[in-house]
Amino acid sequence: MKKTIVQFSSLLMLVVVMCGAASAQVTPAAKSGAGLRMPPYRKVALKNGMTVLLMERRQVPLVSLNYIVRAGSVSDPKGKEGLASATAALLRKGTKTRTAEQISQQLDFIGASFTTFANADLSGGRAEFMKKDIAKGLELFADLLLNPTFPQDEVKKLIAQRVDGVRAAKDRAQNVIPEYYHAFLFGGHPYGRPVGGDERSLTAITRDDIAAFYQSGYAPGNMILAVVGDFNAAEMEKMISDRFGNWIVKGAAPAAIPAPQMASGKRLLLVDKPDSTQTYYMIGNTGVARTNDDRVGIEIVNTLFGGRFTSMINSALRIKSGLTYGARSEFEMMKAPGAFYISTYTRNESTEKAIDMTLDVLRQLHEKGITEEELRSAKEYIKGTLPPQRLETNDQLAALLTELEFYGLSDAEINDYYTKVDAMTLADSRRIIKQYFPLENLAFVLVGNASDIGTVAKKYAPEVKTKSIVEPGF
Amino acid sequence: MITIRKVVSAALLLLVGLGTAAAQNFEVKTHTLKNGMKVLVQEDHTIPNVAFYIFYRIGSRNERPGTTGISHFFEHMMFNGAKKYGPGEFDRVMESFGGHNNAYTSQNVTVYQDWFPSTPKNLEQIFDMEADRIQNLAFDPKIIDSERGVVASERRAGVDNSNFGLLNEQLWATAFTAHTYQWPVVGWMSDIESWTMADLQNHFRMGYAPNNATMVVVGDVTSQEIFRLAQKYIEPIASREAPPKVTTVEPEQKGERRIYVRKPAQLPVIMAGYHIPETKHADWYPLQLAETILLSGQSSRLYQRLVDKDQLAIQVSGGTDKSFDPALFEFMVQPKQGVDTAAVEKALYQELVRLASAPVSDEELQKAQNILLADFYRGLKTINGRANLLGSYEVFFGDYKKLFSEADEYTKLTAADVQRVAAKYFTDNNRTVAILVPEAAKSAAGQQETSK
Repeated sequence: MKKTIVQFSSLLMLVVVMCGAASAQVTPAAKSGAGLRMPPYRKVALKNGMTVLLMERRQVPLVSLNYIVRAGSVSDPKGKEGLASATAALLRKGTKTRTAEQISQQLDFIGASFTTFANADLSGGRAEFMKKDIAKGLELFADLLLNPTFPQDEVKKLIAQRVDGVRAAKDRAQNVIPEYYHAFLFGGHPYGRPVGGDERSLTAITRDDIAAFYQSGYAPGNMILAVVGDFNAAEMEKMISDRFGNWIVKGAAPAAIPAPQMASGKRLLLVDKPDSTQTYYMIGNTGVARTNDDRVGIEIVNTLFGGRFTSMINSALRIKSGLTYGARSEFEMMKAPGAFYISTYTRNESTEKAIDMTLDVLRQLHEKGITEEELRSAKEYIKGTLPPQRLETNDQLAALLTELEFYGLSDAEINDYYTKVDAMTLADSRRIIKQYFPLENLAFVLVGNASDIGTVAKKYAPEVKTKSIVEPGF
Repeated sequence: MITIRKVVSAALLLLVGLGTAAAQNFEVKTHTLKNGMKVLVQEDHTIPNVAFYIFYRIGSRNERPGTTGISHFFEHMMFNGAKKYGPGEFDRVMESFGGHNNAYTSQNVTVYQDWFPSTPKNLEQIFDMEADRIQNLAFDPKIIDSERGVVASERRAGVDNSNFGLLNEQLWATAFTAHTYQWPVVGWMSDIESWTMADLQNHFRMGYAPNNATMVVVGDVTSQEIFRLAQKYIEPIASREAPPKVTTVEPEQKGERRIYVRKPAQLPVIMAGYHIPETKHADWYPLQLAETILLSGQSSRLYQRLVDKDQLAIQVSGGTDKSFDPALFEFMVQPKQGVDTAAVEKALYQELVRLASAPVSDEELQKAQNILLADFYRGLKTINGRANLLGSYEVFFGDYKKLFSEADEYTKLTAADVQRVAAKYFTDNNRTVAILVPEAAKSAAGQQETSK
């Protein structure tokens, strides 16, 4: 493959990265960049407090559901990290009337998918089934969300699998460097916890913990459900209301998330993986929240800095020097300010050269800024790539609707997007670079062969913390 | 990693499907240029964007020892400058009007993918740039060397530092003794370090004739517009000889082959591969049903047995991929820590024997067909998905319309067909097994917390 999409897939964590805004059905005017409009959808508040969003779309005979509950891994008790994520995964492992095996048989029999996820801010899931199976699909979906029983043997099985999942993930540095980075950058802040848990914390989780997390987090007042696809909205509203309307539970209020501290000075963690022939590294600091007023401008500048193939970082480290297959940067926009990072990898021998170059590109961003021509190009790029990334499919739109609702953002997020992009000036970019892109204060995480790169690592920070990748935890 | 064979989950059956549904909103117009390039267009105005794909019938199967991986390296070089558009221009121009691109190389094909907003100006621009690089690619020695470093890094990430990548490479290298599927698409590291400018130029001459390619355009366009632009920009490129036929046939395997890779790791990995015929073979469809029954979803036989019931593994995946020549049906298992790999193998083979010795129930057959139908719809959700499906069917079946008749192929099949192919291909003698055996790392750094 040509492109570098550094995939932090991993069994451990779903970094839900929500950049910028988004829109849906693009009006003809959108082609000229004049505007985007959110396509019509119906928002329903059920009497029990659950929020339901319904959008009719008929491109393929599929129906997509996306739900979010306002309880993420920040609600995991200390020492039981991974609880939110495990709870979500166990929804399909037994209900009052179905065993885990029956659930899988019945989902698969109609070709349906049902997957769950969690991140620091929220737990969620998505399901998809064919139009002809709407009744059966909804019945199953509601059963999993409303009637899970978390059988003891299924809890034990899943926890054991996840512990080995962490170990398997650690056999590939690329899979786990984000966990080390978040832990090192955020320290004791809840955003530093591993969403999927670690070898120790997972084994501390009991069935009672799972049931308690479900009881407090999964309540209609915490739930947002979007349904997008080939159906009639009025009929769907009735079906959802029939399935979920009688769900009366008073859950806990979502956990308050304090703003994380910025890292000050330079700090470095070296994770030793003695068989590694490349050094994987992430460098950065605390970034911004999803609702930051400058989010569109930040997205534009980051596009130029490390968000696309011809970005400054990828041009320097890949295109011009061949040091890596890919280099990129990203702001993880969360409820509270999430992480900003630059991420890449290079062979052991070129570690110093690559890190020096990375820091140099960052310095140049601050010293030289961006040009008028670059600004114009970035604007076109994010406008042109938005529709296929966020607005094309039922599942993209369902995810968008729940996301906007969760973060308290309105349709203006979509309807005003192009206008906001077009309004960005070079002066804005200078302020944004200064305000949001770190320069002197940086956290470094390197995963690689410590005996090869240990000396180089000392160059970048006064203190170097070292740990072995086989040590439990991150 | 290069898209070769499925490495991820069995649920990813994007390129497999049933097709009654295809009828809706799915008219394809075709035109063959005078130089032999066929153009497929499907109009879809849902979003103001286009997916523009070119499939070249050339991949690592067309290579030879000493220059393995050159198809993939060449794919990278296609972005590094031609005559009219110099180094970096293809990407710079595309991104400046809101487009982006990618490409992939497999054992069989090299595919270029452009996505962009569908204005007439952009379309004209893309055709101009594609025509430029198809006929006038530049070979700058400095850029070749730099790109060598990029591909070496790609190999280190996807193979050398990935237990799955490493073991999979060894599986194919062992299962194939004669045919060119034996080497990795990314190439052996020593070949990546050694191929020459002349090798690249030869490869270009061999694989990049317009008659060796198929263009697929899906999205907010009209077919007339695309055919007109193809005639203007692509038709003047002269046709040439197609790549030489790959004539080597892998001899029948007459006994299990078994290899071990020992390296520092916390968990073992097990892979098994069985020789199966090429995609055009009549057994392709029953094999797809077998794959779905064994590997698709948490109710699949192998998930149920290995992950759920016996709790020997945390993940099982695998399956088939479309190919021109006979390839492998693969199984990849991530066992739990400390599990005896022999026990995992035993359970896996018992399930394959079970499939071969008794017919699946009507319900299980129906389930597999339903999964394939839903996955078919999933493949159609995006303009990318449709461009890739149309191109793949045109290339591997010789006719994109096979996409629409696949439903009939599956409904014709019975439990006996699934049983027959399982018995025919999942035999001990036809099997190659690769096992990654974890060793403790020899660490110097140890556990000390802070050093100055």
